Amino acid sequence: MKNIWGSFTGKKAGRTFILPAVIILLALTIFPFLFCIFLTFGKVSFLGGLQIHFTGLKNWMRLFGDERFYNALRITILITVIAVAIEYVLGLGLALLLNRGVKGSTFFRVLFLLPMMLTPIVVGYMGRMMFNPTRGPVNHVLPLLGLPAVAWLTEPKIVLYSVILTDIWQWTPFMILILFAGLQSIPPALLEAARVDGASRWELFREVVFPLLAPASIAAILLRIVEVLKIMDKIYILTGGGPGISSESMTLFGYSLGLRAFDLAYGATIAFSLFITVLVISIIFILMTRRFQEIGLE
Amino acid sequence: MKVMSNERFLKLSTYILLIAWAVFVLFPIYWMLTTSFKSKLDVFLGPKYVPWVDFKPIMQWWIRMFTVERREVIPPLVSSAVVASISSLFAVLLGTMAAYGLTRFKFKLGPFGNRDILVWIVSQRMMPPIVIALALFLMFKVVNLLDTRLGMILIYTAFNLPIAAWMMRNFLSQIPISIEEAALVDGASRFQIFFRVVLPLTLPSLAATFLLCFIFAWNEFLFALILTYDQARTMPILIAAQHFQRGPQWWDISVLSTVAIAPVVIIALSLQRYFVKGLIPISK
Repeated sequence: MKNIWGSFTGKKAGRTFILPAVIILLALTIFPFLFCIFLTFGKVSFLGGLQIHFTGLKNWMRLFGDERFYNALRITILITVIAVAIEYVLGLGLALLLNRGVKGSTFFRVLFLLPMMLTPIVVGYMGRMMFNPTRGPVNHVLPLLGLPAVAWLTEPKIVLYSVILTDIWQWTPFMILILFAGLQSIPPALLEAARVDGASRWELFREVVFPLLAPASIAAILLRIVEVLKIMDKIYILTGGGPGISSESMTLFGYSLGLRAFDLAYGATIAFSLFITVLVISIIFILMTRRFQEIGLE
Repeated sequence: MKVMSNERFLKLSTYILLIAWAVFVLFPIYWMLTTSFKSKLDVFLGPKYVPWVDFKPIMQWWIRMFTVERREVIPPLVSSAVVASISSLFAVLLGTMAAYGLTRFKFKLGPFGNRDILVWIVSQRMMPPIVIALALFLMFKVVNLLDTRLGMILIYTAFNLPIAAWMMRNFLSQIPISIEEAALVDGASRFQIFFRVVLPLTLPSLAATFLLCFIFAWNEFLFALILTYDQARTMPILIAAQHFQRGPQWWDISVLSTVAIAPVVIIALSLQRYFVKGLIPISK
């Protein structure tokens, strides 16, 4: 026994520690990923056992001529941009409020982070109940405030904003989490020095706090962008992608075509185009923010 | 004098805004919870806000869900619990091993070092799940893992591994290695050190990581939607199906939803600060 254990020393032992994780990821993430790419050039049939026929670029030609693809891409990006922007502003504001250290701010912080832990399917149902046109509290309260009731889940132009509102409810906490931690790591001596120099509250925020927060801001926004681009579960419950396809995201589109219409190869093509979208948008965002990242690190 | 009133105004406005957001956060949860105690009439004539004032709360739906509807509800609940806990256990074990390897050894794979391996592991989490889910559907079909708990455990292990490795790396890099060095001098092997010294030392971190993985697996929807249909269905699938099966029965949906979020709420409220510590490496 002693001998077996003893052989795991030095360089070999290091490999033994990381190997299981690497194997799991290779088998269950990297291999399916490569398989997905392979599928985009084929056609799956189940007649007489599973068969995959090579069809060249047919799926890709179909994708680029598919109105529904551009619709889903536009909706996904629209939701992402609006939701992440609002979540960031709200998250930053709330993190600053929490950072004022008033009595009970720990309680508020714990409470504020709660929504992002909840099952997205349940959050979708919460949204549907809140937005219900006749029995929901939102449309009950709006007229009391002198505002018109809104067809939250049936009007094609509005459903997107219902989805965005629901996402804001669930994921602003993530911004709060990251930005609050960022605020906490700013050395108090720095703020004190600026204050002694006669900086006003606004100047303190604009010249010191916000630039120092840049790395945290960039990380939080990037992570959220990547997550929202994959959005599906809340839409699935809130609108099912409807009315029509007016709130269909890329993942939902891929699922509908891949499994409901059972064209797995085309579904894989849609899915892989989403992967490329995520990659391209992340790279653009990283390049755009590189300058600010450096300011933050100074 | 003016400074005083300024401070007071600042404090007051802080509280007002914090309380406003707290109401915004809590209301939908409150709404769902109370709906599970409303009669059909109170839902349809709604909105009714305050129990005992607006409407008379009833236990009917809760009782029915765990008696008449038991056969429908219990299997997905068990599936969720089994799949989430076992997969999280694996994810934490493998993730911790990887994190230990990456913080205690130097790796060289061509031009890539420890940092690159870590980034590679963590970046797996960025992959859109639909990309691998559709391919996994075919793979699982071939090896007969479709609609099995084993298949779900496997995929959730892979799904949670990146986050587990990331959290445990942050925790492990905070532990001084002098203790391990002492054990190494005493002739213990790396594995003995890992299992007998490191794991016991990091027990609270392991628990926090496990519970966060548990929450992610418990909440996961897309993989479960694509890879299960009957035997291995999890709670989110059962809840999502409610609407399609018989139209929105809001009281039933509310009962099931409350059951689904109860464990998560309890874990989140009691252990949040540990999650935060692990997710965000403190650079101070």
